[in-house]
Amino acid sequence: MLKKIILLLTIALNAASAHAAEVNVFTARHYSSDVELYAKFTKQTGIKVNVISGDAKALEKRIVTEGTRSQADVFIDVDAGNLGAAQHKGIFQKISSPLLIEKIPAHLRTDYWYGISKRARIIFYNPEKISETIAKQLNYEDLASTNYKGKIVIRSSSSTYNKSWVASLIENNGTEQTTSWAKALVQNMAREPEGNDRDQILAVAVDKADIAIANSYYLALMLSGQKGPEQQAAAKKVKIVFPNQNNRGTHMNISGAGVTAYAPNKEHAIRFIEFLLSTEAQQHIVNTTFEYPIIDQVMPNTIMAAFGTSFKQDTTSVATYYNNQAQALAIMKKAGWR
Amino acid sequence: MMHTFKINYWFLSSLFISCFVCIPLIVIGISLFQDVSGYYQLLGETYVYTYIANTLLVLTGVLVLTFIFGVGAAYLTSFYQFPGSTFFTWALILSFAVPSYIYAYSLTAFFGYFGNLYSFLNYLFGPSDYHTLIPKVDGLLGSILSMSFSLFIYVYLITRASFIYQSQNLVDAGKIMGFSNYQTFKKIIFPSARPGIVVGLSLVAMESISDFGTVSFFNIQTLTTAIYDSWIIFDDIATAYQLSFFLIVIVLIFFWLERMSRSRSKFYMPTRGYEAINKIQLQGTSAAYATTFCLLLFTCSFLFPISQILLWVIQFPDNIHLAQLIELSVNTVSIVILTTLCLIVLAFFTNYGMRISKSKFLNAVTNFSVSGYVIPGVILAVTLLSFLSFVSKLANSNWIHFLFSGSIIGLVIAYCVRFYSLAINGIKSGYEKLNTNLDDASYLLGYTKFGTFIKIHLPFLQPNLLLIAMLVAIDILKELPITLILRPFNFETFATQAYTFASQDMLEHAAGPSLFLIIFSAIFILLSKKYILKGF
Amino acid sequence: MAHYFEFNNVSYSKNNEHILTNVSFSIPRQGDTVAILGPSGIGKTTILKCISGVRKIDQGTIQLKNKILHDSHTYIDPEQRNIALSFQDNALFPHYTVEENIRFGIQKSLFCSKNKNGPLKYSMEDLLELFFVPELKNKYPHEISTGQAQRVGLVRSIIHNPDLLLLDEPFANLDQNLKDKAQKNLKEILKSTGITTILVTHDKYEAFYLSDYCGILLQGGIVQFDSPYNIHHIPNSKEVVEFFNRGVLIPVEVVSDDTLFNKDLGEIKGKLVKKYEKGEQVNLLIQPEDLEHDDSSTLKFEVIDKKFRGTNLIYTLQTPSALQLPVFVHSHHEHLHAEQEKFGIKQPIFIDHLVCF
Repeated sequence: MLKKIILLLTIALNAASAHAAEVNVFTARHYSSDVELYAKFTKQTGIKVNVISGDAKALEKRIVTEGTRSQADVFIDVDAGNLGAAQHKGIFQKISSPLLIEKIPAHLRTDYWYGISKRARIIFYNPEKISETIAKQLNYEDLASTNYKGKIVIRSSSSTYNKSWVASLIENNGTEQTTSWAKALVQNMAREPEGNDRDQILAVAVDKADIAIANSYYLALMLSGQKGPEQQAAAKKVKIVFPNQNNRGTHMNISGAGVTAYAPNKEHAIRFIEFLLSTEAQQHIVNTTFEYPIIDQVMPNTIMAAFGTSFKQDTTSVATYYNNQAQALAIMKKAGWR
Repeated sequence: MMHTFKINYWFLSSLFISCFVCIPLIVIGISLFQDVSGYYQLLGETYVYTYIANTLLVLTGVLVLTFIFGVGAAYLTSFYQFPGSTFFTWALILSFAVPSYIYAYSLTAFFGYFGNLYSFLNYLFGPSDYHTLIPKVDGLLGSILSMSFSLFIYVYLITRASFIYQSQNLVDAGKIMGFSNYQTFKKIIFPSARPGIVVGLSLVAMESISDFGTVSFFNIQTLTTAIYDSWIIFDDIATAYQLSFFLIVIVLIFFWLERMSRSRSKFYMPTRGYEAINKIQLQGTSAAYATTFCLLLFTCSFLFPISQILLWVIQFPDNIHLAQLIELSVNTVSIVILTTLCLIVLAFFTNYGMRISKSKFLNAVTNFSVSGYVIPGVILAVTLLSFLSFVSKLANSNWIHFLFSGSIIGLVIAYCVRFYSLAINGIKSGYEKLNTNLDDASYLLGYTKFGTFIKIHLPFLQPNLLLIAMLVAIDILKELPITLILRPFNFETFATQAYTFASQDMLEHAAGPSLFLIIFSAIFILLSKKYILKGF
Repeated sequence: MAHYFEFNNVSYSKNNEHILTNVSFSIPRQGDTVAILGPSGIGKTTILKCISGVRKIDQGTIQLKNKILHDSHTYIDPEQRNIALSFQDNALFPHYTVEENIRFGIQKSLFCSKNKNGPLKYSMEDLLELFFVPELKNKYPHEISTGQAQRVGLVRSIIHNPDLLLLDEPFANLDQNLKDKAQKNLKEILKSTGITTILVTHDKYEAFYLSDYCGILLQGGIVQFDSPYNIHHIPNSKEVVEFFNRGVLIPVEVVSDDTLFNKDLGEIKGKLVKKYEKGEQVNLLIQPEDLEHDDSSTLKFEVIDKKFRGTNLIYTLQTPSALQLPVFVHSHHEHLHAEQEKFGIKQPIFIDHLVCF
């Protein structure tokens, strides 16, 4: 009996809302502040935003399994490799939006998905152990140097950030070189990979290692005090450097969004993504996540900005990350990178 | 045989329900015949043995600890009176309110870099390098501890029930033979409680093998994470299914073990009561040991995690969004109530069908279906999704799919499949205490089968019913993977919210939902503590 | 004319074990009481369960009030049969008080079959009183003794006012004193309410007292179904005799229609129950009350055993041919005979029913 009532209610509710303008967003980003962002969108356009956030892969799985019946309009994920994988599964559809093409640099988008924020994978180091002059010259490739034996910490090979990063190295340096580089890096590790990016930074802060590789926004996160006073103090102890300034530039990655293949509300979806590239939205994003903005009109959050905004950024197309990810993982695993 | 054949509706509907629950198992069985991808080779080359080893290590650790905690606590509270014994008897159950993954979060909160222990030492002794002092409680150790403290309750309750039902006679028998308390326990009481203990440990084993939230949080690679990885990361659903199959085989071993022990310890309760045990009053050092053991256990399993969560709440009050928490509460509570009702009705239906028809086939199907309990929630959700897609393609109807996927109904169905076992067995153990003679007596007084159900079974089973309702409710409250995958838009529960924050490295934000989850679970536990202690 | 109740050629087996094979008996009139006697384990309780419908028979027919309850085409559910059964391992509902349990027997409710008779003229209190459990109304089954529970079950069955009442050893756990009173009360209730009853018991006295007909259930089925008097005095087979185990069989020769001859006892006169040829060698059943004691008789045998029974004594006498004869004597007899004394049998020997096999 109860089930019947629920059934009727569900139908009624869905029937009712089918007429209202809405867009269904599947997102792997989860910040409570995003709710405010969506509210802004609704206010501007009258389109209601329905959000389902969760594990990226699980969301992908659901979209793929549901196929033509999927209710998803927009899919947002972090890491270009993930987005490439999603595209490969047929999750996205090609859209044409002059606005997006204009606002987003070519190497940060594809026809299927579009970067909405940037992050750099940078080196964190202990200034008491490594001089600033040396640090500033560091390239990713130098991490294989025997000078750093037992001094490097980095997270597990299964991390999608690492996979994209190594994929980019393969793209730029070739398989053979990257293979030997990976082996050497593993020899240099201070411990078996454990924990996430922030744990690597903290390890340097407590002198367990000299060098950590992690994403840029973590520093700001810790410095902001959101993780507590102790982590704030620890963050002050480490310094950062944007590697590869003398050659191609620092490895960049994106959070991106795309319109799903069977989106029921395609037009709304495009408008939503375009909104994410608006000044308002970009400002909101950089201040909540400490990522870098895609558009030039917006400055990164002050904490990040303090470290420099005009560092050289690798313009390797993020579209290539996915292509090389499988091999990247194989190389890492074979090198013994846990 | 000249039994007239009447269509037994109870039998048919019970059969239908049980078959439905078997679907995930069948899907996985079918996939066994599909090809294996390169992932499998990769597994073979590198880390599959680590996965298996880790799974077994965690399992062993958890079994050992839950045995010590569960049997120890059950023994002390069943047979002895000591300071705090009445309190601890029910207070220990509160540990059930803390899911294993939240326990994991609190371990990290305490022992992590710049965690609460660090702050505490800092406060007490001034700044220093405590990082070398503070033990690292994560990885294998963290997983084992988390699961042990949140799962020992199964062993505790079932062992306690075994002890109590044995009644005073066994204790007296020991006295007559001149045994000391310890000898009585070792030679008489423990052996006869052994089947019950095995049942409890089997349940623990099944739970810990299928755990995902804790091991993934601590980055321990187990079979379960391998399944998840192969499905999610490598897109190899065939391997995922195959690994699931092996996982289920392992689980079926424990499951079989549990059945065997359960049937050995099964007895038709006489329609009269049993004699309660006269508890021995402990004095002096023995009393001190007993109280200390229970106090430590209670502190570690409940006070510790809740204190960490509370500390987070106090330290980072900005992370508490009251409006959001209220919405979470409404969502969570409604789905819990809805599902619990459905499950209770289903369980009754099936049990009654089994009781009336006495069909071996129905029994077998039901038994087969309940082992679906152990399929990793992730796989369960996916198989259901696949099945529903398949069905709706067949029926060529968007409507079916729309109804079930991304809707409350789909979520409820998935929960029902997952917790079917708990509900069925819970009601079943109640029925087992009701002699079938009583059914006959009722019929002979003119009451129809349905009348008997209403007037005899329901009132008698009421304590059981309440108990099962509470347990199901708590399990749904804590459920994670299925909810994550199948939930509709704009729908979060405490569990999903906490997990999402934790997995995004925003652990402090997870405090609010975690706290509420524990509070609600604790409320359910307290409401039914009388029945929990009696009915298990 | 059909009998009120018929149980015909019924077979029942469980787990490949034949428990009942081709059992038949019937109750001629409404209001009769039938007792089923037999050794333990023979299947008496099973018969009751089959009649009530909680067990399904394999073959045969069961019929009540001209309606088929169970045969090869039909099966009526127990709840529709209006038959009450008082179980041996009592089946009181543990979560209801005694009073509530009994009310189950009386109430009409939505959940009840419509097939019920009107109320009994005895109230619950009357019945409880008559079976010596009046003060138990508000107690729960686990608070009363087994014997009391059994009687409460009995009350519950009776108050149901069924078409057929089945009682399984109703007074098994009662001590003798109360048992006599309870039996008397039961008989009165059954007679005044006219409830047809089948009673299963291993107590012969109970069966004889309460029933209009007794059925002796032995390995081969119901071997004799007759009034208690006939069962006792005219058992129809050796098996029945052995079951009762009260008499002995002695070899005799048929002399005439009313005379038998035994080597030790001499001539025995009486009415032969069955006709035999002159000169046939048969076995005569001698029950303790058949031979009379007479001190003045010349026919004397040695006493080898003496049983004091309160109201009477049973002497066992040994004859020269090593026959052991039981003799029943009032205990007010002038003198007791010790063992090895000689004990006189009155002559001529006259036995009303000469039962021979």
